Amino acid sequence: MQRQGFNRAVVVLHWLLAVSIFFLFISSWWMMALPLPSQELQFRAFPFQLHKNIGITLVILLGIMLYMRFKYPPAPPLESDMSPGMHKISILAHAAIYGLIFFVCISGYLSSAHTRWDTVFWWLIKFPRIAAADEEMNEFWGELHTYAAWILLALVAIHIAAAVYHSFRNDGIIRRMMRW
Amino acid sequence: MKTDDINSSTPNWASILGVVAIVLGVFLTAMHGTETMKQLVIPANMPVSGEMPEADCPLDELEEEGISLAECEFLVDHVKGIALSSPDWFPSTMMTLSLIGMLLAFASVIVGGAMVNFTSWSTTSAIVIFAGLALVDLLQFAVVVNSGPVLRDIYLWSVLLWFLLHLMLLVGAIAGRDHQTAQH
Repeated sequence: MQRQGFNRAVVVLHWLLAVSIFFLFISSWWMMALPLPSQELQFRAFPFQLHKNIGITLVILLGIMLYMRFKYPPAPPLESDMSPGMHKISILAHAAIYGLIFFVCISGYLSSAHTRWDTVFWWLIKFPRIAAADEEMNEFWGELHTYAAWILLALVAIHIAAAVYHSFRNDGIIRRMMRW
Repeated sequence: MKTDDINSSTPNWASILGVVAIVLGVFLTAMHGTETMKQLVIPANMPVSGEMPEADCPLDELEEEGISLAECEFLVDHVKGIALSSPDWFPSTMMTLSLIGMLLAFASVIVGGAMVNFTSWSTTSAIVIFAGLALVDLLQFAVVVNSGPVLRDIYLWSVLLWFLLHLMLLVGAIAGRDHQTAQH
């Protein structure tokens, strides 16, 4: 018998990802307004390392979520809740969001990998350097990271608007991701 | 095969209130998390002497950040200004409240999901959590009012807005519960 809603692990991971993504956005706006690093000014060290830690963790969590999502697929939504056309659009939108999360995290890591700063995952595991410090490459990946993040934010806003739309309709869609 | 796994008898008010609580809860968890980090990072990295060193603004870094030399120097002054405006008790008090707020905000995500499913415990829990969040806002308001003009300018409008939002959620949950009680 197939479940109507998403698997509970997928639900928990979805909300952890949501909180992490918003934390990364909001904290990054603040940390970019901290003084540029020097020997005496180290304000950016902790926030930047935390930003990288959460970003890398996000990739892992998203991978697990997608694995669970495909291993335990939910039944398609009822036609009274969502037309087949809208369902196709929603699948595309979700695929775009997943793709962008991966891209934003990977481009952020590549940007960081071209700086003189090492990545020590959760202050425990030192990642091997994959590239030498290179200002141009850092800037290239940094800009891609930033623009992709803005696009991701726009898609997340649309995603939230769609969720609110379904909650006002009080149909079965929203409860698929709320299996407590 | 379709199951009756998903509760379809959720009243409209609970469905809407639940989703609003979730959206705001996700956002507020991130905001309180950032605030906790701010109060941790700024005092910990201030020079012991209290004197801020000169800003280090190499040209290539300025280009990369897309800022001018004046802006780069201001970043140091900005942090110094916040540190100077913060009374000694401010960072620890604000960090404690933000930590509590972060936990309650995440709890409001869980409770919001329970409201969408209209579980038996959802409405009472929502009232408790929303009241807790409104109380944290009130305490933060009191803390910021007792600081100084710079911090009031940064925080007060945002704390007030969150207080009003949490008050609306709280009143909405109470009204929903009363309506439900009257119906039975």
